Amino acid sequence: MSLLELHAILPLLVLGAGIVFLLLQVSFRRGHRGALVTTLIVLVAAALVCFQVAGLLAGGTSSIESTDLLLVDHRALFFCLLLLLAAVAIAVLGFNYLKHRCDRKVFADSYPEEFYILLLLTMLGACTLVFASHFASFLLALELVGLSLYPLLGFAVNGDRSSQREQLASLESGLKYLLLSALSTALALFGIALVYAAGGALDFAGVAAAVTGMKSGPSLMLAGLTLLLIGVAFKLSLVPFHIWTPDVYQGAPTPVTALIATVGKGAVVALLLRLFERLDLFAVPALTGLLAIMAVASMLAGNLLALMQANIKRLLAYSSIAHLGYLIVALLIGGSAFGIEAVIYYLVAYVITTLGAFAVVGLIADAAVELTPGGARPPSDSGSDPFHREHYRGLFWRSPWLACCLAAMLLSLAGIPLTIGFIGKFYIFAAGVQGELWLLLAAVVIGSALGLYYYLRLLLTMLQRESAVTAAGQDGVEIAVSGHAVLVLLTGALLLFGIFPQVLINWINAL
Amino acid sequence: MMLSITLPAIIAVLFLGGILAWLAERWKDGASRWVALLSLLLASILLAGYWPQFTDASRVGLWWDSLQLSWIPRFGITFFLALDGLGFLLLALTLSMGLFGLAATWRDIDFRRGFFYFNYLWTLAGVVGVFTAMDLFLFFFFWEVMLVPMLFLIAIWGYEQRLYAAIKFFIFTQASSLLMLIAIVALVFLHYNASGQVTFNYRELLAAELSPTAGYWLMLGFFIAFAVKLPALPLHPWLPDAHTQAPTAGSILLAAILLKTGAYGLLRFTLPLFPEASIAFAPVAMAIGAVSVVYGAVMAFAQRDMKRLVAYSSVSHMGFVLLGLYALNTIAIQGAVMQMIAHGLSTAALFALVGALQQRLHSRDMDELGGLWAGLPKLSAVALFFAVASLGLPGLGNFIAEFLVLVGSFDSGRWVTVVAAIGLIGAALYALLMMQRVFFGEAKKINTDGLLRDLNGRETVALLALAVGLVFLGLRPQGVFDTAEPAVAGALQRIDSALAEKSRDAVPLATSNAHSTEARWPHSNPEGGISP
Repeated sequence: MSLLELHAILPLLVLGAGIVFLLLQVSFRRGHRGALVTTLIVLVAAALVCFQVAGLLAGGTSSIESTDLLLVDHRALFFCLLLLLAAVAIAVLGFNYLKHRCDRKVFADSYPEEFYILLLLTMLGACTLVFASHFASFLLALELVGLSLYPLLGFAVNGDRSSQREQLASLESGLKYLLLSALSTALALFGIALVYAAGGALDFAGVAAAVTGMKSGPSLMLAGLTLLLIGVAFKLSLVPFHIWTPDVYQGAPTPVTALIATVGKGAVVALLLRLFERLDLFAVPALTGLLAIMAVASMLAGNLLALMQANIKRLLAYSSIAHLGYLIVALLIGGSAFGIEAVIYYLVAYVITTLGAFAVVGLIADAAVELTPGGARPPSDSGSDPFHREHYRGLFWRSPWLACCLAAMLLSLAGIPLTIGFIGKFYIFAAGVQGELWLLLAAVVIGSALGLYYYLRLLLTMLQRESAVTAAGQDGVEIAVSGHAVLVLLTGALLLFGIFPQVLINWINAL
Repeated sequence: MMLSITLPAIIAVLFLGGILAWLAERWKDGASRWVALLSLLLASILLAGYWPQFTDASRVGLWWDSLQLSWIPRFGITFFLALDGLGFLLLALTLSMGLFGLAATWRDIDFRRGFFYFNYLWTLAGVVGVFTAMDLFLFFFFWEVMLVPMLFLIAIWGYEQRLYAAIKFFIFTQASSLLMLIAIVALVFLHYNASGQVTFNYRELLAAELSPTAGYWLMLGFFIAFAVKLPALPLHPWLPDAHTQAPTAGSILLAAILLKTGAYGLLRFTLPLFPEASIAFAPVAMAIGAVSVVYGAVMAFAQRDMKRLVAYSSVSHMGFVLLGLYALNTIAIQGAVMQMIAHGLSTAALFALVGALQQRLHSRDMDELGGLWAGLPKLSAVALFFAVASLGLPGLGNFIAEFLVLVGSFDSGRWVTVVAAIGLIGAALYALLMMQRVFFGEAKKINTDGLLRDLNGRETVALLALAVGLVFLGLRPQGVFDTAEPAVAGALQRIDSALAEKSRDAVPLATSNAHSTEARWPHSNPEGGISP
């Protein structure tokens, strides 16, 4: 392993070193704020290092193979950067979430620092997944993401001021994800074993050679690849492998929900893109057919089920299922440069928008916890559930700024112009037209029309003039400055890339 | 090109005015109204800068003004605004109806005023954008931008069923416009495959050569989006609810302006972009138009709710527009353009009157109203005027419009025109019946408290201005025809060359959209005709 190869994976090294440093820091001196600062520094440093490594790639070499396991190219670095920036926002949200729940002055045995260690571990896994070019590193990274997500999902059990209900939901969320994620990893692992049995190689290049020589009928290789794809579909929560999504999203602490929805899925999309491109799976009709069916099912089922949700997190969970369906439409023509561009743009749009939506929802819920008197175990009855749609009634008049942010996110999810979501949807349409995927496009239109209904219903609930729950103390939602900063940045990015998409397009095209 | 900054300035004035209005209301109660009024006046003054082109009978060229800036070069998308005679007419309609709506409902909005005028101005800004955008992407962009504030207007300040109506309105229009987006993208893609150039520029896409099948499907994508907005028959269910539930100012915007964007889209985009497909589709579209005319009239006749009656009458009147546009000849299309303007004026006035009644009596139910003439002589007289305008009394703009549409379509589709003409009888029935039930007959309980205020000065001036406008359009329609002529001729030229190609099968498709000098209609000759 040469120095160049080490240099190429510098983002991973920075993350790894950061984790060790944070562990040491916490064991010597506990402190919530200190842990946050270290985490932010590590994440930002890793993000900056991405640029530095990108500069390394500029001269002639388009990619650097760092051993057989990792392959660093511009696209992977871009994904890495996107995920790291998302993690910065999540760390800040996490701080706001834990601030009220893990107060060491009140409860000596609460450990908010663990959150950041686990967050960095997840990021290490996600970034490794993005760079993976070998099934070993792929599986390792996937498991690292999964293993650090289980305790994160169940983190509310640690938080002393979380209500009993919240703790139970969080535990349920963690367990469900543990079981189903383990199942999907097992499937993927079995798929990899079959691929190895058929092709005799585990690195993507070697498997690619075996795939090219694959005969057209049913084969061991195809079975392996299908199982692998199903494993990946579990992670992406494509219908029919979506069962875990709403419960896990709902029960988890909101920052963790944002993490699993953006970083968890973004990294897998990046991996899927690389897998399909390297192995040239676009030429395998069985797999693209499978993806197309899952995409249509996701768009329709996701949007239909979202119609019935009164809980915002469940609603966003189903809507994220649908959005992954849209994304797959672009992926299906991924054989061409345009398809990849479309996938990346849509992914950026999805990450910004989903992160923003969960940020607003989480911050509003945090404010509700803070306001509840009595300290331990506050909101327990469903009437005051801060995730229920009714909690948002008249929000626009109480906290115009927060409501505007959430409205922007919802309009972006619905694909209305001036937002990045519209450009993303435009890309999906352009990709679908190029691939002549008329059936899929029809599903996109139907899905979008259904989606409008529940986004609008939430939006209009916020705008309702009579606010039934205008009790004392409900006048405005107070959130921390750091929360505001995250929202300003996300909303700004959403509008900037929605009105002047060329900036981002140039960047993506330069990859 | 002179004044090339004017078009974006008009849009910017409205956008910024909206934001200012919102802020102003926080600063001082009631300030937002004045901000809205000022920005509308400023926009009108800017538009009046085109007066020389409007009065200049010898103007050459189709386009009065244009501005093109690079926006998203990746897709050849430009920020391309341009104005021609048709655009000017519709902009004038938009801004004057904006002013009218503002004046007619000056005191109606009693809560969240700042946000109301924000949405009001943004809707208008979106509509101005729609009428001037010459880049299909930009057009679609504005097409959507005008919807969201309209949604808020209905959902926040509407009546009883406002949420239902707002969501229904939005889903109908949005789902159909997604079809249009697919059609736009597909059109650009096909054009790119043929010419190697990615562009959303309307003028360049006119040259796109499409296979008949592709052209037909794309045309349908555009047609459905515009037909929903128009609205044409099977796609109209959003309209009665949205119009009825919207606040008065919102109803005025919807009926007077937003419906016209559908008609405008058909004339500007569907017909010229897909001439062959449009010719093939014309009989169907005319039939839809005629059925809409009759259906709207019958439904209006059956309503108890006065606002719903006016809403259904819009379906009927816009049916004439569809019929006229797809008759594919100058007379009928000019009639359709005239109908767009005249219907805008008369329906806006009717909605304002219903709003005024609702504000005074808190009811729109015609079974509860009756004998209002005694108590509200001015309002009733004005209502009578606009009711007969709506039924097409000769001497008023609506008569000219409907007459021309019928004359023009008779050639293209005899029986269809006959069916549509029956709608005129229906119009007389529902309009007069409304007068009878509301303003004549026995006074009902609801208006016996003796506290009725008749129209005040502000309302009277606003309504009389529209009445004068209608009379002017009815007696001297020539100005409108002359102004719209180049755009209509441009669209028809493409239709005609497509027809010629179809019949001769050899002549290559004329792709230039240059101003047609061929006289199609005696009225285009300024000194020749003796206009009434």
